[in-house]
Amino acid sequence: MRGILTFFLLIISNYAIAQKSQLSGVVFDENLKSLEGATVQLISARLVVLTDQQGKFNFSGPFDKNDTLLIAHLGFETLEIVLSSMQEERFLKVKLKPSDQLLSEVMIEANTISHRKQEDAMNIEIVRRNFIQKNLGGSLMQSLERLPGISSIGIGSGQSKPLIRGLGFNRVVVLDKGVKHEGQQWGADHGLELDQFAAEEVALIKGAASFIYGSDAIGGAINVKPARPPVANTFGGSVDVIAKSNNNLYGTSVNLYARKNRLFFDTRLTYQRYGDYRVPTDIVHVYDFPVSLSDNYLRNTAGLDKGFHIQTGYITEKLKSIFYLSHIHGKSGFFANAHGLEPRRVDTKLHDSSNRDILMPSQHVDHYKIINRSDFNFGEHQIEMELGYQWNFRQEYSPYVNHGYMPPVYPADMNVSSVLERAFDKKVYSINMRDIHLLGKHEFTFGINSEYQDNAIGGWGFLVPAFTQLTSGAFLYDKFSINEKLMLHGAIRYDYGHINTLEYTDWFTSDITTPDGEEFSENIQRAASLSRSFNSLVWSAGLNYNLERFQVKANIGKSFRMPIAKELAANGVNYHYFSYERGNPKLSPEESYQADLGINWTRSKWTIQLSPFLNYFSNYIYLNPTPDHDYYYGAGNQVFEYTQSQVLRYGGEIQLGYALFKNLTSALLGEYVYSYQLSGDKKGYTLPFSPPPSLILNLTWSPEIKRFFQDTYFSFDYRITAKQHHIVPPERKTPGYQVINVQLGTKLQWNNRPFLLSVQAQNLLNTRYLNHTSFYRLIALPEAGRNIVINLSIPFTKQTKLNKNGKK
Amino acid sequence: MKKNLNIIFLTLLALVFGCEEKMEIDTEYPEIIMTIPDAFPVQCSTLKRGESFTFRVLLHDNVALGSYSLDIHHNFDHHSHSTEVEECDLNPMKTPVNPFLFIRNYPIPAGQRNYETSMDIEVPLDIDPGDYHFMIRVTDKEGWQTLRGISIKIE
Repeated sequence: MRGILTFFLLIISNYAIAQKSQLSGVVFDENLKSLEGATVQLISARLVVLTDQQGKFNFSGPFDKNDTLLIAHLGFETLEIVLSSMQEERFLKVKLKPSDQLLSEVMIEANTISHRKQEDAMNIEIVRRNFIQKNLGGSLMQSLERLPGISSIGIGSGQSKPLIRGLGFNRVVVLDKGVKHEGQQWGADHGLELDQFAAEEVALIKGAASFIYGSDAIGGAINVKPARPPVANTFGGSVDVIAKSNNNLYGTSVNLYARKNRLFFDTRLTYQRYGDYRVPTDIVHVYDFPVSLSDNYLRNTAGLDKGFHIQTGYITEKLKSIFYLSHIHGKSGFFANAHGLEPRRVDTKLHDSSNRDILMPSQHVDHYKIINRSDFNFGEHQIEMELGYQWNFRQEYSPYVNHGYMPPVYPADMNVSSVLERAFDKKVYSINMRDIHLLGKHEFTFGINSEYQDNAIGGWGFLVPAFTQLTSGAFLYDKFSINEKLMLHGAIRYDYGHINTLEYTDWFTSDITTPDGEEFSENIQRAASLSRSFNSLVWSAGLNYNLERFQVKANIGKSFRMPIAKELAANGVNYHYFSYERGNPKLSPEESYQADLGINWTRSKWTIQLSPFLNYFSNYIYLNPTPDHDYYYGAGNQVFEYTQSQVLRYGGEIQLGYALFKNLTSALLGEYVYSYQLSGDKKGYTLPFSPPPSLILNLTWSPEIKRFFQDTYFSFDYRITAKQHHIVPPERKTPGYQVINVQLGTKLQWNNRPFLLSVQAQNLLNTRYLNHTSFYRLIALPEAGRNIVINLSIPFTKQTKLNKNGKK
Repeated sequence: MKKNLNIIFLTLLALVFGCEEKMEIDTEYPEIIMTIPDAFPVQCSTLKRGESFTFRVLLHDNVALGSYSLDIHHNFDHHSHSTEVEECDLNPMKTPVNPFLFIRNYPIPAGQRNYETSMDIEVPLDIDPGDYHFMIRVTDKEGWQTLRGISIKIE
C-alpha cells in the first residue's frame, strides 16, 4: 500500500534517536540541499515542528519508544520513521525523495521531460503548468504558440485551434484526459473547448502519430493531461486570479482537492469575462469596405468562459480508477462588421455603447465530458482503459439576412429561430484499451481505440449534413531496448471506419434555369444520404540513440486520415467566404509518409536541438477554389470543390540555448515549413494556412534573490516572422513582422505560503501586424495590440490525518 | 560528432534551398474595372422598372480570366455589401414584399486577359422599388476571386 502512497523513504546514514531528552536532525532534498519549512511530527506525542533555514529541527523529550516520526514537505514524498527501529543516537539526517505528484520542482520536471523525450522516437515537446502560466494567452493553443513548430488558427481573443507544422483542423488530434477531444474541428472560426487552467501537462507530438492515435493524427497530436491525483492524506488547492489589459479580462480559477488514502477528489472552477479587444488601428478594410473602429475596439468581440471540472477516484497499488466530469461553456461575439468575412453595416451606436456586451453575431458552445480512466497492474502487464462520453453543442447566432434564393422575410411558420444561423450537436462515445506488457527487453503495447459519433445540425443555414460515424482501430507497438544507448521502435495498426451522412433539403425554393432554358422552382436537395466505409493499414519504425550529452532519434512511418463529413458531403453556400463548397463523396483516405529526425546535443554552456522532417502525401484532401461560379446549387457563388493532390512538405525546428552567465541565458527558437502541391489544379501552390518562417530570440535573467523571492525570472522574447508569399487562393500575401513579448515572474513567500506571480507584456510596442494563420487575415485585420497579462496563483496544501490509522 | 552534425546541417540546407525551385505561380487577383467610359451600373446608379440595362465593366487578369457572376438583391434592411468608398443616400428601411432577385453566372471565353461585358438585363415591372445591391464576382483561371458590391436604386 505504502509504495504507491508516497510513503517512501531514504535515510542516508546515522539515523539516531535519544531516548529521553533530545531528538533532533536535519532534512535535505535529493541534492543534499537543506529543506526549510518541512513539517516534522511526533504522532503520539502530538508534537509538530518546522525545520529552520538550515533544515534543522529539534524536539525535547521524553519520548515514547514506539512513537512514529512523520516528515513532510510540499513537493516531496512524506517519510515515516518508527522510533523503535532506531539505535540510540541523537541526530537524524533525513533525505526526502521528490514527489512526482507535485510540480514545484522545476529541475525534476526537466529531468523527466528529457527522459521521456529520449524514449520516444518522434519529436515531442512537453510543457507543464508553469509554462502555460508564464506564457498565458487567450486560449490553451495561444499559450503554446511559443513552441517552435506550433502555431494556432484563431478568431478573436479567446478562440483558437492548433496548427502543427502548418497542419491543423482534422489533421491534429487533441487528447484530453486520454480521450480524443471532438468538437467542430473543421471550422476556422471554432476554438477548442478546453480550460487551460485545468491542464497540468501538455505533450505535443510534432509529426504523424496515426499509429497510436488513429485517424486524424496525421499531422500530430496534442495530449492534454489533467492534474494528477493528490498525495495521500492531503487537502489543498489553489486560487488563480487573472487580468488582461487589452480586452479588460478578469478571471479566476479555483482548485480544491483532498485525498484520504484511497479516495480523492479534485475540483476546479474557472470563470473569465472579457471585453472587446483592441487592435492598433482606427480603420479596417473589409473587402475594401472601410470600417472605422471606436477607440481601437474591435466591435463585439467580448466573451466569457466558464469551466467546471471534478475528478474523483480510487487508488490502490493494483488499481487506479478515476472519473472526470467537466463542462466548458463559452460565449463570444464575432467582429460585428464582418460576420464570417462578409462586410456588414452595423448599428455602431448599439455596439459601441458598451465594450463588454456580447451581441449578435455570436457563438455559444457547451462541451460536456464524462470520462473514466482505469489502470490495472498485474504481473508484467499494465492495462489502461478510457471510457468517454462527450457532448458538444454549438450555436451560432446572427440576425436573418437572406442570401441567394432565401425568402426576403423570414417565414413566421419556421420552427427554427430566425436568429439561429447554425447549430451543431455532437455526441461522442469513446473507448480505448491498452495492455502494456514488459517482456525482457521489449515493451509491447497492444491497444484498441473505438469511437462512435452522432451529429445533428440545426439553424437556418446549411453547410454540413447530419451524420453518424464509427471508427475502430487496433495497434501493436514494440519498444525494444537493445542496450542502454540504443532503443528501437516498431508499430503496426489497422483501422476501420464507417460514415453515414443524412439527407438535407433546403427549406426555401430556388429558381432554376437549366442549360436548356427550362425554368422551374424547387427545394434543392443539398445532401443525399451517403454511406462509406474505409480501412487502412499503417506502420511506424524508429530508433533512439542516447549518449549522455548527445541524443539522436529517427522515425519513419505511414499515417492516414479518413475523410470527414464536410469533405464528403458539403454542398452549401459558405456566405462567409462567398463560396459554394462542394464535397466529393468519392474521396479516399489520406495517406502520408513522414520521416523525422531529432538531434539533441548538450554541453555545459549550450544546448542544440534540431528536428527536421520530410513528409509526402499521396492524396492530400484539399478544398480547391475553381474558376467557376455555380448558379444551380451555389446561388452564383464561386465553386470550391474537394479534390486530392500529391503534396510534399518539409521543414523543421531549431532550438539553441546558451548560458551567457550563471543567471543569464539566451535562446533561439526557429521554425520553418515549406509545402508544395505536386499535382492537381493547384500544382506548384502551397497549402492553405502555411505558417511563415519564424524565429524567437530570447534572453532570460533568473536572479537568485533569497528569502522572499524564489524562482524569479525576467524573460524577453523578440519574435521575427518572415513574410509569407507562398499563398493559394483565396489567401493574401502577408508581410513579415517583429513583435516583442516580455515575461516576468517570481514566487513570493509570505506567511510560509507561496504566491506565484507572473506578468507578461504581449506585443509590448503595440506593433501593427497581420498573422497569416488568423481567421481574420482575409479582411486584413491586425492582431491584438499591447496586452499586459497578470496572473497570481496561490497554492495551498495541508497534511491531514497525521496518525497511523489514517494510512494502511 | 561535429563532422556528423555538419553533414546533417548541410544536407538540411541543401534540402531547404535546393527544393525551392521557382515554378511561376499566379498570385494576382483579377480586377473589375469600372472606370471605362460607359461602365454601368456604378455606385449610386439608378435602374428603372420595366426597362432593361446593359451591364458593362472591364474585367482583367494578369494570366487568364475564369468566369463572372451577378447578384442583384434588395438592401431594404440596410445590411450593406458595398465595397465602395462613396456612400449613397438610402431610403428609409422597409419590409420587402416582392423584391427583385437576380442571380446569374456567366462563363468567360478561355484564355482572355481582358474581357468587356455587355449583358442586357431586364428589370421587371412588378418588383419593389428601393435600395438594392449589385454584386459582381469575377474569378481567374486559378480560382482567385474579386468582389465588387455597389449600391444602386431601382425606381
